[in-house]
Amino acid sequence: MATDRTADVTWHGDLMTGKGRIDSVSSGAIGGLDVDWAARSEDVGSETSPEELIAAAHAACFSMALAHTLGQDGHPAEELKTSVSVTFQPGEGITKIAITVAGNVPGLDDGGFREAAETAKDNCPVSKALTGVPEISIDARLQS
Amino acid sequence: MPRVQREANVTWEGNVARGSGEISAATGAFELPYSLATRIEKRDGKTSPEELLAAAHAACFAMSLAGELSGAGSPPDHLEVHATVTLDQVEDGSHRIVASELLARARVEDMDQATLAKLAEAANDGCTFSKLIEASAAVTVNATLEGDSNGD
Repeated sequence: MATDRTADVTWHGDLMTGKGRIDSVSSGAIGGLDVDWAARSEDVGSETSPEELIAAAHAACFSMALAHTLGQDGHPAEELKTSVSVTFQPGEGITKIAITVAGNVPGLDDGGFREAAETAKDNCPVSKALTGVPEISIDARLQS
Repeated sequence: MPRVQREANVTWEGNVARGSGEISAATGAFELPYSLATRIEKRDGKTSPEELLAAAHAACFAMSLAGELSGAGSPPDHLEVHATVTLDQVEDGSHRIVASELLARARVEDMDQATLAKLAEAANDGCTFSKLIEASAAVTVNATLEGDSNGD
């Protein structure tokens, strides 16, 4: 069964000085998030950006895929902590995505964890949708 | 222009079927719980990776269309973009993001529907996210003028 998820954005004015807002999403989980070109292309402030939302989507998707892979291998995770950094080059696009994950997985060694993380990186639906990104890196470690 | 990095963090506990996670944006703009059930079944007020992509795509396209309209000498008074991202099971049983549909309504002075449609296509070409996901998903764009058109 297909699953649809939706979002609504309003924009006023031109690109450089105009202002946008993510008004709502289908679940109601987020709303009223401001977006503008300065927040997207300059120093990080408190406003979100398409690239931050992509980082959040990818981190969420990857974590689920890794939880799935580990569970199938008989080593369900107690905890996974994932960070995703999306690099955006204005005028060029997204040039790199770096995934970092630390896991607390009883009974699994570092090699097994890294292998599971590679599998999750290759197979999560967001990774599959972002195969056009020149580089997607993964750094996976077990928490000591 | 300098490179820009944007980051987000997720903490996940437990297996995929019964576990749950927490997504946070590095800017502090949002902090959101999610789970498998809210991703593929009932939303139950919780977000999912696909919903975040819908938000990213709508935001990316809105900026791109604002840029195209401004470049054509008609910066928009008001743009509304609605994005729908579809996750579906494909032949091999895995899940794929198969479509992202963009619906835009624009309030722009001195603009006709045909020109808007052309600029919306250019905005789609210029939206980095549209370009990226076209390998996996069908991206469709439909833009209409809001209210009475002043173009002639």
